[in-house]
Amino acid sequence: MALLEVKDLKTYFATGDGIVKAVDGVSFSIDPGQTLGIVGESGSGKSVTCLTIMGLNPKRNTISSGEAFFKGKDLLKTSQQQLREIRGNDIAMIFQDPMTSLNPVHTIGHQLMEAVLLHNDVPKQQARARALELLKQVGIPRAEGRIDDYPHQFSGGMRQRVMIAMALINNPDLLIADEPTTALDVTTQAQILDLIVKLQQEYGSAVIMITHDLGVVAEIADEVIVMYAAEIAERGHVDRIFNNPRHPYTWGLMGSLPRLNADVERLVQIEGQPPSLLRPPKGCRFHPRCAYAMDVCRTVDPVLAPVPGEPDHLQACHLDAETKTREAERLLGAFATEASAS
Amino acid sequence: MIQYLIRRLIWAVALLLVVTMIGFVLFYLVPANPAKQACGKACTPEMIARVAHYLGTDRPWYIQYVRFVGRLMPVSFHGGPHFKTPNLGKSFVSNQTVNRIVVNAAPETASLVLGGVVLWMLIALPVGILSALRPRSLLDRTTMTGVLIGVSTHPLFLGLVLLYFFTNKLHWFPIGGYANFWHPAYGEPSGPLQWAYHLILPWFTFAVLFMAIYVRMIRANVMETMNEDYVRTARAKGAPESLVMRSHILRNALLPVVTMLGMDIGVALGGAVFTESIYGLHGLGWWTIWGLNNFDSPTVLGVLVFATTMIIVFNLFVDLLYAWIDPRIRLA
Amino acid sequence: MTTVTAEPEAQLELRGDELLVVENLKKYFPVTRGIVFQHQVAAVQAVDGVSFAVNEGETIGIVGESGCGKSTMARCIVRLLDSTSGRIVFGGKDITKLSRAELRPYRREMMMIFQDPYASLNPRKRVGFIVAEALQVHKVGTPASIKQRVQELLEVVGLNPEHYNRFPHEFSGGQRQRIGIARALAINPKLIICDEPVSALDVSVQAQILNLLKDLQRDFNLTYIFIAHDLNVVRHISDRVFVMYLGQIMESGVRSELYESPKHPYTGALLSAVPIPDPELGRSRRRVVLEGDVPSPLNPPSGCRFHTRCPRFVEGKCDVELPELVTRENLSPTHAVRCHFPLERWPLGDEGMRLDRAASASAPEA
Repeated sequence: MALLEVKDLKTYFATGDGIVKAVDGVSFSIDPGQTLGIVGESGSGKSVTCLTIMGLNPKRNTISSGEAFFKGKDLLKTSQQQLREIRGNDIAMIFQDPMTSLNPVHTIGHQLMEAVLLHNDVPKQQARARALELLKQVGIPRAEGRIDDYPHQFSGGMRQRVMIAMALINNPDLLIADEPTTALDVTTQAQILDLIVKLQQEYGSAVIMITHDLGVVAEIADEVIVMYAAEIAERGHVDRIFNNPRHPYTWGLMGSLPRLNADVERLVQIEGQPPSLLRPPKGCRFHPRCAYAMDVCRTVDPVLAPVPGEPDHLQACHLDAETKTREAERLLGAFATEASAS
Repeated sequence: MIQYLIRRLIWAVALLLVVTMIGFVLFYLVPANPAKQACGKACTPEMIARVAHYLGTDRPWYIQYVRFVGRLMPVSFHGGPHFKTPNLGKSFVSNQTVNRIVVNAAPETASLVLGGVVLWMLIALPVGILSALRPRSLLDRTTMTGVLIGVSTHPLFLGLVLLYFFTNKLHWFPIGGYANFWHPAYGEPSGPLQWAYHLILPWFTFAVLFMAIYVRMIRANVMETMNEDYVRTARAKGAPESLVMRSHILRNALLPVVTMLGMDIGVALGGAVFTESIYGLHGLGWWTIWGLNNFDSPTVLGVLVFATTMIIVFNLFVDLLYAWIDPRIRLA
Repeated sequence: MTTVTAEPEAQLELRGDELLVVENLKKYFPVTRGIVFQHQVAAVQAVDGVSFAVNEGETIGIVGESGCGKSTMARCIVRLLDSTSGRIVFGGKDITKLSRAELRPYRREMMMIFQDPYASLNPRKRVGFIVAEALQVHKVGTPASIKQRVQELLEVVGLNPEHYNRFPHEFSGGQRQRIGIARALAINPKLIICDEPVSALDVSVQAQILNLLKDLQRDFNLTYIFIAHDLNVVRHISDRVFVMYLGQIMESGVRSELYESPKHPYTGALLSAVPIPDPELGRSRRRVVLEGDVPSPLNPPSGCRFHTRCPRFVEGKCDVELPELVTRENLSPTHAVRCHFPLERWPLGDEGMRLDRAASASAPEA
């Protein structure tokens, strides 16, 4: 059984300018121990999807609908009280900016212990021991001496380790990591990704990795969701997404990425800007920027349907299968030839 | 830490010297002869000269200044170094030492200012926090209107209005004056109850402006802190709202308020002048006005030195407090 | 000796027609302490002896992690900061010590594009004014010709020329970076220093800006110094690449040399840390994960600055002797590395980056 099953999730924000449809009909599921990568550019709805599951959107102006079954319980319909018991205990979250995600006026020990004490009826001494254990596991040097330090005494990479320790301290079944390495340098990013993978294997948690970096997804995800303008453009196993991408937006993302192993004179660029979610384009949301747009794309929003012959690989695009196969091969062929030529 | 305190002390002394020097030069420029004033109307020029010599005002200003500073020093080298009480001099006009004036006036001003601070914080804290929690609610909008009125009302005007209604019309409060908190003086009202009763209107008059400023500031700080990432982290941990508010929002939102409070005490002392004048409180502000009206430089300078010292001490206290409650601040 | 040349590093081989020559540039930020009178107790060695030359029309890429001094170096070159020592020669003229007035003609030829398109544009000024500012400062043209030039520039960078009357907040991040580029182009500079110009942008927009920069270079014969922490981006745009660590250049070379056969262990670690958008390749690849954080530039490690995190660290050599940035026997003359024990092979085999003891034993006893 799936650990988390999300069906037709919608999150709208009421703003002064109108309704922002931040997430508009997203469905996916994740199994225990699996890693799901959600890729997309800023404003594509990837973070809001997870904040909705966690119930962390501002209550005042948020309208959510759909279902999110976690271990058989619909998170969108549980009370705040019950959600609080799940948050930080069964589902934990790591955020993008380690510099601002820790409270500056409390010691990291205090903040770690808080996470333990909120969900477990244990004496403080035991909570502290657990905090220390986690700090050691995430590789904080001299953890005994540093547990009573304040966040500003740690570097960015070390703070993200503390955040990971805090997320894993109650053995969650699901860890949601929202761009955990975006604010970090590349060598630190490698350390943090390694750490997440290592701890995931130890704890058996499922991981949702939200990122804009296709490289990060290729490295750690089993399943991949590509989001564009609040909808899922393509979804499938990581190998299928990278070896047989079926959506023009996925092609655009792959082509616009400069690579270490390929020389291209010009990058493939997606023209224009992502659309406003106040008034998203009619039909397929990607059509104003799509090089393959047809008449039907301007009026009919494509449904997320399986790729022929690949029941677990879904895509939302009107383009015919032959063109897609041809274009995908052309795109991947370009990387391959240039990689071998260089 | 020790180095920090030494540096602050050196700066404090330098600041006091500059402040008194400016005060001295200003009084020297005023075309009034203190000796003539002290002597009275029927004085002959010889008598005035004698008085001037007695007061020391026949000397050039820098000699007078050096003597002033010498009296102010807490140590004396006259007959071997020893500690002494700093001496602010003697009033030219009233027959008192300035030390005496300050000792009598300081409790009245302290009562007014400290009571006012307590009053404004007691009201500003809950109102600011509540309106931050419910932006654009009825409470918030009422508060913001009140803030606008508060910041645009001068204490002089407010004091007169309050006196007119609550004292003249309703006879709820005394017309003014000060009741001693401690010793019952013969024939005069005193004791804590009378003290508070006499000060209610002054406190309110004094506090309204700052109350309004602080409500707005606390509201803005709390609203800003609510959007911080670490508040989201706390919620993601499963912390209940009460804990999020107490441990994560308020701790951070109120840190800058402490600093502001330290700086505003100085500003507030200036505002106390108006309140003291209206309610006839013989505090430091009242004596300053009196000294200025009578060209009595020792009183004015004495009060100035005392008030400056108090402000410096208070600011140092607030800085130390701030370093203690905010782990990111190191004193160096 | 594996080193072919052992000259002091400040001596660059110059042909004489380089656009920019930086010689032994140092920038130390003093750390002061004192009760009343401040005295210097230490210095943050942000840039510590950087030398290189830039030819007209080429793109120099500078990579390094945060705190490696790359931005400080850029600011020293355009004289936004005064360097502590060293020489900056632009177009044959030493500009290191020029006064503000003397510097003005050179300011026209060196422009800078910044990372944050949100913060680097004045929110209260119209786009037309922002782009025209340099023209007005340098008194180029009449109001009518300036307006025409501004519209031309907006068109060149791919914006609607009719939008010159709008404010920066009416544009998206990518468009704002285009405005920044138009502003830099306004007075036909020769050299543009790009400080992380695409790191705040989404991938699709990043590709647009990178393509634009390449087009502009071709059309206007621009020279770029391109500073970034993203190795993919730097590889894509640069002809030659310098890798910086703690204020020093660790390795320099033509792009293909540096990316295909890195010699410095730090370059190798950086390259192996970059996630590859190809799951199969990613799985088969060997990764070197460096331990710990970058040390403080306030008190940099002795000897080789990288020795505290280097997988090839040799005690008694690396922590004692600062290696020089020099080319080696089996390297091309354009490829230089600051390492006592450069990598023998790339990509890494199963043994990773570890020093081949047998090879190093037969090699130098300096």
